[in-house]
Amino acid sequence: SRYVPVCPWLSEQFSVVVPIYNGVTFLFVLANFCMATFMDPGIFPRADEDEDKEDDFRAPLYKTVEIRGIQVRMKWCSTCRFYRPPRCSHCSVCDNCVEDFDHHCPWVNNCIGRRNYRHFFLFLLSLTVHITGVFGFGLLYVLYHTQQLDTVHSAVTMAVMCVAGLFFIPVAGLTGFHMVLVARGRTTNEQVTGKFRGGVNPFTNGCWKNVSHVLCSSQAPRYLGRKRKPHGVVVQPPFLRPQLTETQLAAKVLDNGIHGDLHRSKSSLEMMESQSCDAEPPPPPKPELRYPGLSRESSLLSKAPPTPTMYKYRPTYSSPGKNHTALTHAYANQMSRGDSLKESSSLLQSSQQPGFRSEPSLDGREAPGERGGGGLGGGGDRPGGGGSVGGAPGSGGGGIPGYSLGGRSYPSFSDPTVLSSGGGGGASRSSSVRSGSAHNAAHISEATTSTSYKSLANQTPPPRNGSLSYDSLLTPSESPDFESAAPDMSPGRHRTPAPQQRDAELHQPSASSVAFLSYPHRAHYLRSDSSRNRTPTPTTLSPLPPPRPPTPHPHHHHHSSHSSRPPRFSRPPLLSDSAAPHHYPYRTRSTDTPLAPSTHPPRSPHPPPLGKSLSYSSAAAAEMQYRMVRKASASAGGGGGGGGGIQAPKDEIQMKLLSRTNGQPRSSLSSSGSTPSSPSHPISMSTRPGQAYPSPGNTQSPAHKLVGGVKKVTGVGGTTYEISV
Amino acid sequence: MHSTAQTHSLQDMRQQAAIAAKVFIQRDYTNGTVCQFQTKFPSELETRIDKQQFEETVRTLNNLYAEAEKLGGSSYLEGCLACLTAYTIFLCMETHYEKVLKKIAKFIQEQNDKIYAPRGLLLTDPIERGLRVVEVTIFEDRSLGR
Repeated sequence: SRYVPVCPWLSEQFSVVVPIYNGVTFLFVLANFCMATFMDPGIFPRADEDEDKEDDFRAPLYKTVEIRGIQVRMKWCSTCRFYRPPRCSHCSVCDNCVEDFDHHCPWVNNCIGRRNYRHFFLFLLSLTVHITGVFGFGLLYVLYHTQQLDTVHSAVTMAVMCVAGLFFIPVAGLTGFHMVLVARGRTTNEQVTGKFRGGVNPFTNGCWKNVSHVLCSSQAPRYLGRKRKPHGVVVQPPFLRPQLTETQLAAKVLDNGIHGDLHRSKSSLEMMESQSCDAEPPPPPKPELRYPGLSRESSLLSKAPPTPTMYKYRPTYSSPGKNHTALTHAYANQMSRGDSLKESSSLLQSSQQPGFRSEPSLDGREAPGERGGGGLGGGGDRPGGGGSVGGAPGSGGGGIPGYSLGGRSYPSFSDPTVLSSGGGGGASRSSSVRSGSAHNAAHISEATTSTSYKSLANQTPPPRNGSLSYDSLLTPSESPDFESAAPDMSPGRHRTPAPQQRDAELHQPSASSVAFLSYPHRAHYLRSDSSRNRTPTPTTLSPLPPPRPPTPHPHHHHHSSHSSRPPRFSRPPLLSDSAAPHHYPYRTRSTDTPLAPSTHPPRSPHPPPLGKSLSYSSAAAAEMQYRMVRKASASAGGGGGGGGGIQAPKDEIQMKLLSRTNGQPRSSLSSSGSTPSSPSHPISMSTRPGQAYPSPGNTQSPAHKLVGGVKKVTGVGGTTYEISV
Repeated sequence: MHSTAQTHSLQDMRQQAAIAAKVFIQRDYTNGTVCQFQTKFPSELETRIDKQQFEETVRTLNNLYAEAEKLGGSSYLEGCLACLTAYTIFLCMETHYEKVLKKIAKFIQEQNDKIYAPRGLLLTDPIERGLRVVEVTIFEDRSLGR
C-alpha cells in the first residue's frame, strides 16, 4: 500500500518497469524467506541404538579426523548419538544436529544449515536490494514533489523511506557479513567461534568455488521424513564365503584405516587380546597391544590407553552425576576393546607422522597431571584415538615424572618428548594397572571429573527454548559450541572441578547464542570436567567455582603446535595441579607457528550486560566493530600473542580462550581455563587483523590497557579480552 | 508340488537369518565435507566377502555421490529455474540430487540382491542414516553352526 501513491506516479514518470521490478524483488524476497524459514536445514536423524556400539563409559568424546591435512575434531553428540560430522553442530533451540550448521536465526525461527543457507543468503541479498529500491524510489518521489511535502502521499512516502533506511543498516551489515563468509567458505558458527583464526580453513575451495557451491549446487536432500524402503531381500543361509588367503589370515592385524573407526569385532578383539598379552611393557609395543581385549578382566592384564579428555561417558540416558559408576567405568576403560585397539594402532601409526589426528596428544600431555585423575577415569580407552602412544614409545620412561597414570597409557602425541615420556610411563603403568584397580579407582574419581566422557556430556542439559538462545548470549559460558575448547581445557580441567558446571549445558550449545555472541567455548572447558559441578541454570555464570588453580598455561598450549613446544612436556606439572601443557591436536600443517602460545584468551564467563535484544544483525555489526578494535589493538599491542597463535583450524573449538571480563578481574571461571592475569598464560586472541573474532555483544569501543604483560582489550560491551603482548 | 513350493517359500520368509552384527562404514572426510565413504575393508567382513568386491561397491557409491554433488551446468540451470519460478518448480520436479539418490538406492538394492544377500550381508542405504554411515548387517550363518 505504500506504493500506491508512489508507483502510479513513478510508472508514469519513468517507466512501467518500476512497479514490476519492485514486485519481482519483493516476491523474490518472500520466496527466499519462506524457503529459509520452512525448509529443513539439514537435520540429521537420531542415530539408531545399534549404531552406538561403544560402551558409554569407554567411548571418547571426540574423534579426530584429518581433512586436507588439518586435524578436525568431531564431537560426540549425546542427544543424537553419533559423532558430529565436520561442520555439523547441535542446535539447542531446535534440539537437532544440523549439517553445515550456520546459525539459528531467530527472525525465521529456524536453523540455517546446509540446505537452506542458500535461501537465507539470497533472502538477505534480495532484501537489501529491495530496501534499497524502496528507499530509492521513495526518494525519487519526494525529490520530485518537494513542493507538496505536506500531502499525505509524501508523508507516507517519507515514513516508508525512514523505515527502509532504518532497516537497511542491519540488513546490509548482515548481508555484507555473509558475503564475506561465503567468499571465505565459512559458516557463521565457525566465524563467530573463531575456529579458523589461524587462517586455515580446510573447507574452503577458493572464493569462486565457494560462491558457486552456495549458489549453484543442487539442493541437498533432506534426511528426515524419508520413507524407509524395506529391503525386500531375504537373507538366508547357506551363505557364500570368500576364500581366505594365507596373507589375509596372517594380516588380520588392523590396518590403519582412515580414521579410528569405532567398530569392533570379536575376532579382531581376540587377536588383539592375544597380542596384548604378549606385549609386555616395554615398549614400544604395538599399538594394538595396548588395548586389551574387550573383556573387563583382560584390562588388568594390559595397559589401557587412557585418554582422560578424550573419553566420554555415554550413559544410557541416566547420566546423573554418576561419579561412582563412572569410576567403575573409567577403570573399565582400561580395558581395551577391539576398536580401541584399532584406533590406538591407527593413532600410533598416525602419531608418528606429522599430522596425526589423535586427541590423545592432549591427553598425553596432561597425563602427568592426570595421575591423580585416575588416569582418567578410564581414560577411556579410546582415546579419540588413542592410543597409548605415550606408552608406545616406551622409551622415555621417566621423561615425564609422575606420568604413570595408574597404568594407563596415554594416547599418542606427536611430541616426541611426550612420546618418550609416555613410553617410560608405560612400563610403570602396566604394572600399576595390574596392581591396583582400587588405586586406579581412587584416581578415577578425579579422572572422571576431568575427562570428557560422553556420559558427562550427556548430562541433562537445561531445558532449552527459544529464549534461551538469548540467555546463552548473556551467559556466554553456556551457549556456545563448546567442543572446540574442550580438548584444551581438559587437562586443566582435570584438576579443577570448577568448570564442570557447564558440562551439561555445553553439550548442547545454543546455536543462536553462538551466532550472536562470540563467546565461545568456555563451556568446553567445563564439559570435559565431570559433571559434578554442573550448574543447573545455564544462565548463571557465577556459580562456577573459582577453583581454577592458577596455572593458566594449559589452555594456551593447546593451540600451539606440538612441534613448537617440546619443552612443555618436560614440565613437571604432572604431579601438580597445574595443568599440563595441552596441546590440542588441532594442527595445521601449513601454519605451524611456533609461538604464540596463546591463542586463546581465556574467557571468563561473565554474565554479560547484554540485553536479550541482541540480535544477529547487531552481532554482525558488533563483529565488524570488533574487528576494527582488534586491528587497532593488534597494531597497538605489537601483534600481541604472536598473531594469536596460529591455530590449526579447529573443528569445534578452541576458541574459547577468549576471556571476557566486564572490566573486572577475571574470576576463576574455569571455563576459560586460564587465569587471565597470569602473564605466563599465553592467552591471546588472535590479533591478526582481519581475523574476525566476532564479539557480538560488544557495543563499546575497545579500550586497551596493559596488565602484566597481558594486554587487556576492552571490547564492545565492556568485555575485556586479554591479549598477551 | 506347487503347494510344497509355496509352503517352502513361506518358511523361507519366516526364517530370515538372525542378525549377528552390524558394521558401519564411516564417512571419509579427507576431502572435506563431500560425501565419500571409507573404502577401508572392515575386518568383520573378512570372512564374508571379498575385499575387492566390497571396495568396488564403496567406490561406486562414492562416485555416485560425487555426481550428485557436482557443481555442473545442470545443477546451475536447475537453480536458476527454481529462482525464476519462486521455487515452485520443486513441487513438480525433483532435484538433481534426489535423482541421483534414486539411482543410488537402485544400485544398493541391486548389490544386495546379487552380491551381499547371498553372502549373508545387507547394505543399508546411507541416506537413511543421514549420509553418515553405510550400515552393513551381518547375518548369522546357521548353516555353518555359528
